[in-house]
Amino acid sequence: MVQQTKTGWAPLHRIVLLWRPQWPLMAAGLVVALAAGLAGLAVMSGAGTHLAGLVVASEGHAPSHDIAALAVLLATPALMRLTGLARIVLRYAERLVTHSATFRALAGLRVWLFAGIARSAAGGLGFLRSGDLLSRLVGDVDVLDGLYLRLVVPAGVALLSFVVLVATLVAIPGVPAALVAAIALLFVAAAVVGPVLAARAGLHAGPVLNETVAALRVAVLDVIVGLREIRVFGAEGRMRAMAQSRESALFAAQAGLSARLAAAGLAAFLCGQAILLCLLAAAVGWAPFAVPPLAAIAMVFVAIAAFEPVSGLPRAGVMAGQMASAAGRVIEAASLPEAAPDPAVPVSLPPGHALSFDQVGFTWAADRPAVFDGLSLDIPAGRRVAILGPSGSGKSSLAALALRLAEPQSGQVRLGGVPVSALAAADLRSRFAWLGQTTHLFSDTIAANLRLQRAEADEAELWTALEQAGIAEVVRGLPDGLDTWLGEAGAGLSGGQQRRIALARVLLSRAPVLILDEPCAGLDIDTERAFLETLNTVADDRTVVLITHRLLGVERLDRIWRLVGGRATAAAG
Amino acid sequence: MIDRPSADRSPSPAPDVSPGAPATGRAATRRWIATQSRLGRRVALPAIALQTLSVALAIAQAWCVAVLLADALGGVHARDVRVWLLAFAMLGLLRGLALMLAERRAAAAGRAGRRRLRGILLGGLLAQGPALLRGHASGELAALAVDRIEALDGLFARWVPAASLALLGPLLVLLAALAAQPYAALVLLIAGICVPFSQAVFGIGAARAAARQFVALSRLQARFLDRMRGVSTIVLAGRAADEARALGIAAAELRRRTLRVLRVAFLSSAALDLAMVAALVAIALHDGAALTRAGAAPATPLGVARSLFALLLVSEFFAPLRAFALAYQDRMHASAAAETLVGLPAPPDAVVLPEGGEHMPPAIRTVQAHGVTVAFEDVRFGWSAHRPPVLDGLSFRVPHGETLIVAGPSGAGKSTVIELLLGFIRPQSGRITLNGAPIESIVPEALARMTSWIGQGPVLFAGSLGDNIRFARPEASEAELEAAVRDSGLAEVVASLPRGLATPIGEGGFGLSGGQAQRVAIARAFLKNAPLLLLDEPTAHLDPVTEAHILRCLQRLAINRTVILVGHSQAVHAFSGRRIDLAPRTRPQVA
Repeated sequence: MVQQTKTGWAPLHRIVLLWRPQWPLMAAGLVVALAAGLAGLAVMSGAGTHLAGLVVASEGHAPSHDIAALAVLLATPALMRLTGLARIVLRYAERLVTHSATFRALAGLRVWLFAGIARSAAGGLGFLRSGDLLSRLVGDVDVLDGLYLRLVVPAGVALLSFVVLVATLVAIPGVPAALVAAIALLFVAAAVVGPVLAARAGLHAGPVLNETVAALRVAVLDVIVGLREIRVFGAEGRMRAMAQSRESALFAAQAGLSARLAAAGLAAFLCGQAILLCLLAAAVGWAPFAVPPLAAIAMVFVAIAAFEPVSGLPRAGVMAGQMASAAGRVIEAASLPEAAPDPAVPVSLPPGHALSFDQVGFTWAADRPAVFDGLSLDIPAGRRVAILGPSGSGKSSLAALALRLAEPQSGQVRLGGVPVSALAAADLRSRFAWLGQTTHLFSDTIAANLRLQRAEADEAELWTALEQAGIAEVVRGLPDGLDTWLGEAGAGLSGGQQRRIALARVLLSRAPVLILDEPCAGLDIDTERAFLETLNTVADDRTVVLITHRLLGVERLDRIWRLVGGRATAAAG
Repeated sequence: MIDRPSADRSPSPAPDVSPGAPATGRAATRRWIATQSRLGRRVALPAIALQTLSVALAIAQAWCVAVLLADALGGVHARDVRVWLLAFAMLGLLRGLALMLAERRAAAAGRAGRRRLRGILLGGLLAQGPALLRGHASGELAALAVDRIEALDGLFARWVPAASLALLGPLLVLLAALAAQPYAALVLLIAGICVPFSQAVFGIGAARAAARQFVALSRLQARFLDRMRGVSTIVLAGRAADEARALGIAAAELRRRTLRVLRVAFLSSAALDLAMVAALVAIALHDGAALTRAGAAPATPLGVARSLFALLLVSEFFAPLRAFALAYQDRMHASAAAETLVGLPAPPDAVVLPEGGEHMPPAIRTVQAHGVTVAFEDVRFGWSAHRPPVLDGLSFRVPHGETLIVAGPSGAGKSTVIELLLGFIRPQSGRITLNGAPIESIVPEALARMTSWIGQGPVLFAGSLGDNIRFARPEASEAELEAAVRDSGLAEVVASLPRGLATPIGEGGFGLSGGQAQRVAIARAFLKNAPLLLLDEPTAHLDPVTEAHILRCLQRLAINRTVILVGHSQAVHAFSGRRIDLAPRTRPQVA
């Protein structure tokens, strides 16, 4: 659903607009950076002219420049100390301010993306196991981290250096226009043409790099997930060769990019050398460029210092290309339209919570086969119902429709007799507690994970829920109890134990309808049986909708529906 | 998780897969980085040499500039001004080329380093086999082998060359300065010594602060990733707005803390700036003073050239040091990746064939012709020394062509029997023989060739359906493939697919149902045509109708093969054969 946009630089512009609240701070950072750059130029040229001025003054045989030399002689030592100090202080301030602005911008971008994804259909994407897609988006946001710090600031400083260099040349009397023009041209070539070419290369390489790295990831994941198959079929060599060939493809793409980057760097470098060559020729009195020696020396030192920020620009250009494609993906994902927008004037929640599907026709996309075609089924309030069907029969789509993560193309889904499309999504979802195979346990404490469902629950209520889910004893046995950290760095709970924590979270909610969508996927059969037995003992007063591909025979059920060919048939009751 | 067998008779003991001992963590990481840097340096030598060359060229250019400027100041233009200009241009051209080549060589070093590490990691994964998946999530391992290793690029491509150049570059400049202007050399030397000294004074501060900043940032990234992955859980719980706010607050808190740390960290960068400015000012003022003192006698062009040369050298002196400070970031990234890499177990030793022929397995062809007889003799196996063994004194014998059904509750060790026969684990005592040959004496390739295995659901690789079946035997002919498709009941499925056998399946491809996937596993087994068939709850996750279909296929597959079937439901009744019931072991508290 989220694909490479072809709009080039527009996404970067959008991101910069997004950072509007941070603009003052970013501008301040840029100003400080510019001032620091200026101070750097001043120190460098000060050192050069000081020495040169002394030479001229001491030799005294260049009378036309005596006054300038004298001024330099008097002013520069103090000026050098001052600008030197300013340079150090300003650089320090620059680092602090630009980093602070970057942190703010990053936080803003992440919160914006999260809110956008949560609002849009992408909330449904997570529901449909698109965790990988979301991970890639997170990686894209990480790429954008450097937009201000590594792109805007250096480019700004380079621009300022250009202005100062040209201004210095113009301000010094007797500098021929030809020299100014030549240097300006070379500087622009280095600071603009090289980086832009590099950025183009980066923009074009982006999709290829993404593709090749994705191919490598698929190969590596196949190797890891298929370790058993590989061993059984003696396929070690084959699989390894495949992973290596995918890696080589990635490396070839990377090598191409780095070769182009190096070439862009060479071009920029040679432009800088040409500028110096012009100034040196001018200093030694080459006719078209000839300038007074003192001025030439000042200019040489200014040029050396001014060119320093330019040398990093081609690299920044490549990054800009990559950032533009990352920004395109992020913006596209965050601005996906809502699959099922709220009605303009939502109806208030009905008192009842019987769930019914009436002649529902549904497909996820126009070019995909219909999932439901005239599906009708009733789930009366307070009943325990199983919905059976082989994989691909649309069991999860059923939950998505009830929760209004998707909208049917025809027919109605009703809660308490009211079409769910007439309700506000937040109201509607307050009636449901959902536990699916993609239910996520967060890297957080057990308590925080439970309170996701009901923030105000007190500790006693947490324990009751854990008790009902049959996991209280295990949690009590953990050294940190409710404060135990879950997730990758956390306590190693087994798959079954984690599912029970998720069940406790669902039970903690006061929602009258529980939707359990393949709650035992990935568990072994005995764990599954124990989990389902626990389920029989809880939630007596609520509607339970158990969505599964097969029954073990231990479930306590009032009714069973079977999904076949996009319709539901009552199987038993 | 898997302890080494106490009575170690096997040539290839099960690897220790405990997920990393934390006590050795930081030191091990540092050692790892040091080793990698050493290995990386060897590959990065061309890049380092080219970069050093470019410093030398820069020094030569600085001399050209100094001579030309001194000449201009002197007002008398030497006749060879053009030679100097030409020399400057040529040197610049060479330097540009050297820099470009250095960059390309550095990038190549980055690729070489990553290729080597990924090769080792993948080799290790393949050598460890499925036992590894007990201690590690597959997604985590994949991220390690792809993203973490990609993140190590900076270590090999930037940090390693920068670390060498930070020594060589300033040293070269210092020697040049010494030849031209001893005072300037002294100033640079003092500044150069001050740099590492100041780094040490501000903190050990600086390095540690940078490390903490990095850790904080990666924590924020991890939190964001976690919340994004669970976004639907949050949305359905109606907490999206709260969570967005919480993300903002966490980021703000992190920013405040990080900036407090950075205030110190940036002092060390400021120290570098200070050293450079101080060196510049000191040299300029000193030489200026020398020139005015010598006011009576006009400065010689050579003296002026030397002073200008020294000034020009200052930025060349500090450039490698600044590059080094920048590359430190790459080292931080590397140590983050290294922590996870170090935690991985080393690949086990290669299987050594026992000396002498007495235990040598019969050649594969012989085995195939006569079928396989499997025997367990008093086999004992436990996953951990702290827990009671799963199998304790298990003995049975399955003559070739017959079926053994292994039943029993979960945790009784049914799957352990299969794992032992697949050679993934070794018993702590007792003997497992195939046609009388101890299983550990059979080369893994040979063992793999005589065994077919079908579990609860096959792994489908990214590729076409045909490729997935051919995975069992890539060299199989079209006719053999067609026969396998027919025998496994896949023919109808193939006919219904948009592109038949060429339809892509697996990651990003067409989804197969559980029953269809199981048929792929059966087709693989038909194609492989191995004499020993291991079935590990092959219908556990199927609905009853599909289960019946699959069982019929499996019965066909079982003809003329030695079968060991593990299961508890209908599957058991579908096969006739000897049956052993494993006694239940103490069950873990909650599944």
